[in-house]
Amino acid sequence: MAEELLKVDDLKMYFHTRDGIVKAVDGVSYTLDHGETLGVVGESGSGKSVHALTMMGLIPMPPGKIEGGEVTFKNRSLLTMKEDDLRKVRGNEIAMIFQDPMTSLNPVYRIGHQLAEPLMVHKGLSKKEAWKRAAELLTLVGIPHAESRVKDYPHQFSGGMRQRVMIAMALSCDPDILIADEPTTALDVTIQAQILELMQELQSRTGSAIIMITHDLGVVADMADKILVMYAGKPVEYGCCNEVFYRPLHPYTWGLMDSIPRHDVTEKEELCPIKGQPPSLIRVPPGCAFSPRCPYAQEVCRSEVPELRLIEGDHMAACHFAGNEGFDRNVLACAGVTS
Amino acid sequence: MDTQHNPEHKTHVPEHAEERMVDAVASAEVIPHHEQSHHDVGPQRTLGGDAWYRLRKNKLALVSLVWIAVVAFAALTADLWVPQNFGSPTAIDSVKAMEDALQPPSLEHPMGTDDLGRDIFARVIYGARVSLAVGVLAVGVSALIGLLLGAFSGFYGGFLDAGIMRVADIFLAFPYILFAILLLAIIPPSWKTTIWPVVFTIGFLGWTSIARVFRSSILSVKENDYVDAGRALGASDGRLMLRHITPNAVAPIVVYATMSIGGAILTEAALSFLGLGVQPPTPTWGRMIEEGRSFITTQPLLVIWPGIAILTTVLAFTLLGDGVRDALDVKMKD
Amino acid sequence: MLRFIARRVVQFIPVFLGVTLILFMMTTVLGDPIRLRFGERAINPKVYKELQVRYGFDKPWYEQYVNYLNDLLHGDLGVSIKSGQAVSDIIAQTYPYTMKLAFAAIIIEIIIGVGAGMISAVKQYSFWDVSVTLSTSILVAMPVFWLGLLLQIFFGIMLKNWTNGAFYLPISGAESAQFPPAAHIILPAITLAAVSTAYAARIMRSQLLEVLGQDYIRTAHAKGLSGRQVLWGHGVKNAMIPVVTFIGLDLGAMLAGAILTETVFNWPGIGYTIFRAIQGRDYPVVFGGTVVILIAVMLVNLIVDISYAFLDPRIRYGGEGGE
Repeated sequence: MAEELLKVDDLKMYFHTRDGIVKAVDGVSYTLDHGETLGVVGESGSGKSVHALTMMGLIPMPPGKIEGGEVTFKNRSLLTMKEDDLRKVRGNEIAMIFQDPMTSLNPVYRIGHQLAEPLMVHKGLSKKEAWKRAAELLTLVGIPHAESRVKDYPHQFSGGMRQRVMIAMALSCDPDILIADEPTTALDVTIQAQILELMQELQSRTGSAIIMITHDLGVVADMADKILVMYAGKPVEYGCCNEVFYRPLHPYTWGLMDSIPRHDVTEKEELCPIKGQPPSLIRVPPGCAFSPRCPYAQEVCRSEVPELRLIEGDHMAACHFAGNEGFDRNVLACAGVTS
Repeated sequence: MDTQHNPEHKTHVPEHAEERMVDAVASAEVIPHHEQSHHDVGPQRTLGGDAWYRLRKNKLALVSLVWIAVVAFAALTADLWVPQNFGSPTAIDSVKAMEDALQPPSLEHPMGTDDLGRDIFARVIYGARVSLAVGVLAVGVSALIGLLLGAFSGFYGGFLDAGIMRVADIFLAFPYILFAILLLAIIPPSWKTTIWPVVFTIGFLGWTSIARVFRSSILSVKENDYVDAGRALGASDGRLMLRHITPNAVAPIVVYATMSIGGAILTEAALSFLGLGVQPPTPTWGRMIEEGRSFITTQPLLVIWPGIAILTTVLAFTLLGDGVRDALDVKMKD
Repeated sequence: MLRFIARRVVQFIPVFLGVTLILFMMTTVLGDPIRLRFGERAINPKVYKELQVRYGFDKPWYEQYVNYLNDLLHGDLGVSIKSGQAVSDIIAQTYPYTMKLAFAAIIIEIIIGVGAGMISAVKQYSFWDVSVTLSTSILVAMPVFWLGLLLQIFFGIMLKNWTNGAFYLPISGAESAQFPPAAHIILPAITLAAVSTAYAARIMRSQLLEVLGQDYIRTAHAKGLSGRQVLWGHGVKNAMIPVVTFIGLDLGAMLAGAILTETVFNWPGIGYTIFRAIQGRDYPVVFGGTVVILIAVMLVNLIVDISYAFLDPRIRYGGEGGE
């Protein structure tokens, strides 16, 4: 078995602010192998983006602070690495693309320059070589007339094309892991599909692993090998994609599934949103963070924090009742509506 | 002063370098923006009440407001208490002058006396009258002109808009001080015993920014969706204007006006220093500095006191303007 | 790109005409042109009439304006009442002093102002940042001429007293026997630069802070660029654009004669000259000097405006490419 490419073990990162301690990342754990795709799913504020930024060292460290845990990448610890070494990893072995392509590119530099930067810094290419490679990368991500386009400025590209450029930039140094933070959220639906297709195609070519961060389950359904569901900074469900989709164990995951409008249902069904709001990360409710919104919450939920534990096979969930007889989505009604 | 303040209302794309500069200057705040603390949602407040609450919390702005109130009060009531306690600020008693000239500060004369034996404190108080009056009135004139022209520009658009903006460009091309100097140079000194020539000169030169701000408020509201929504519900144009445009436009204009008062005071001081402002014997801070120039070797305080007066008053208006801007900024979390 | 330049130049012309027209109106319509030209001495009515005809003041105003423009473009600005010298000569003698002063001030502004603003932004809320913010607020609220006087008092007079005349700075004029010209320019340059430096620092600070909060900075970090590369390559480069614009416009403002500073320090530049001319009712000098200043300022503004296009590619190449 190949060594684990990335192992995240109980990662905790809190923000120390004037109003209190924000527990943004509170015990995230997962592993990632070469070529695997992990989907990290959750609402805004669940910590899904912040944990990735923490791993990359992109969180300003005051006010942020690593409170515990380990992140091992290729047998090296990312959290204790010196900044100079971490810099050599960023953009080179682990690359990241962000949500909004309109603002993620520097408006005063040509695309070629921005693509060439990591190549020159990490791979030691000369300016000429780097620009040449930049044009090749543009073609790789499906931008026509790459030779002339490489001299253009970001504002001369549309949103979808800019995201392609971002992908090209991320892949330029052949990273082992590509972290994609909500890469399609800011794009039109039709473009979304194109971008996802592109990413899959590139992945099969380069063999890099992908961490796909999103709030949209539909995005990861096709692509992910494993899924990690996050809520209020904590992991609540973790397992391989099929397992999580077809036999989800955690009520929050059920809620996520149910709140997707489905186009394959012929009868009129009520939309089942999850009631309530995600909790403030400063004043996290005692016990299970989801209990205020959970239709099945019991006393124990409000007093004891459920651990992420193995339920069956590789499938883990953080719920006191997960895996119990009868605690199954199909058995219990869509309680958000009927209760 | 050659540069003016402009509130942080970036709703139009700056066409010219001067506008970009004005925007950039405006965004350079006086007070570093501190994180606003999160409160639990309190009782509902109106926009005005909300703004007043936030203003009160801003200590710097509060101190400034108090200072301005004190100075204004002292200036307005000056006739009641200044000549009685400190002597006339303008009259010259040649006998007294010889004895009392250039005295250092004492109990009797808290700021000392000038070369003609007059109490400096008294003159500073009377000078405040001119500065505050000119400051407020000049900005008022600017606002009047600016609102009018801005309204025409924004509403009717087309040639009228282009024409007015072109004229604004011409005004912007003039170095502010130079134009004021020219205007006042032509007016004979006998006319300048009152504050009105200065008021109108400064006011006449400052309309461009207010016009621009008001115009862009109108334009942005015209394009805004909620205006369309209102129209869809059948509201008339006049009503739309009143309910939507005016509240939106009021905030940046109030902020800009408050900060401009400081600039107007500085301009008045500069013009007085050059001898073009309100003519003697009315004391003005700028003029006092000019008159004190000859004596900086023997009694520099003659120059220093009026300068401090200007500095503190202008600073107060600037901080107040900053505070008002923060208080009226709806987008900031409470 | 050329279209942009052409457009700006074309827009310049009506502004130029408008400005000269206003000046012209001031000289002929608002004031009495004969008096403005020839001083306030009583003039025999018959002579007055003759002068009117001779100088064309009885012609319709638009004809006068054209003549005025014509003279202007030929460099004829009239003759000084006081000295009889051609105004253009007077200006040619004094403008270089103003230019020297302005350039010295701009250098101070760039180095100190932009530098302080940058450090302020990078070390936000630190002691340095707070002191910069405090001092700039105070500088901006101060009258320029008062600052000049304060500097005179401290460096010219107090320092002289404390060191018994051994060390102090000159406070008047551009040259003297005891001091090299460089010493003379120090205090006026600082005075002139002070307010602009304060603004430049604040603008630089706020622009840099804004830029550093942008997404593309995060991208640059994520690419593995070093802190310094991100700050200078991505941060400062973007933040500088409005700052450069500001400094350029400031140069224009300074070239406008820095009347106040020159008056305080008796610096023989064009501002001082115009001011003395006002006091002496030497109107040809006043208006001639003003015209020259205005043209210089408008030219500088035009150049700054155009240079903006060079700095910001979004202005240079508008529009989006297709999918």
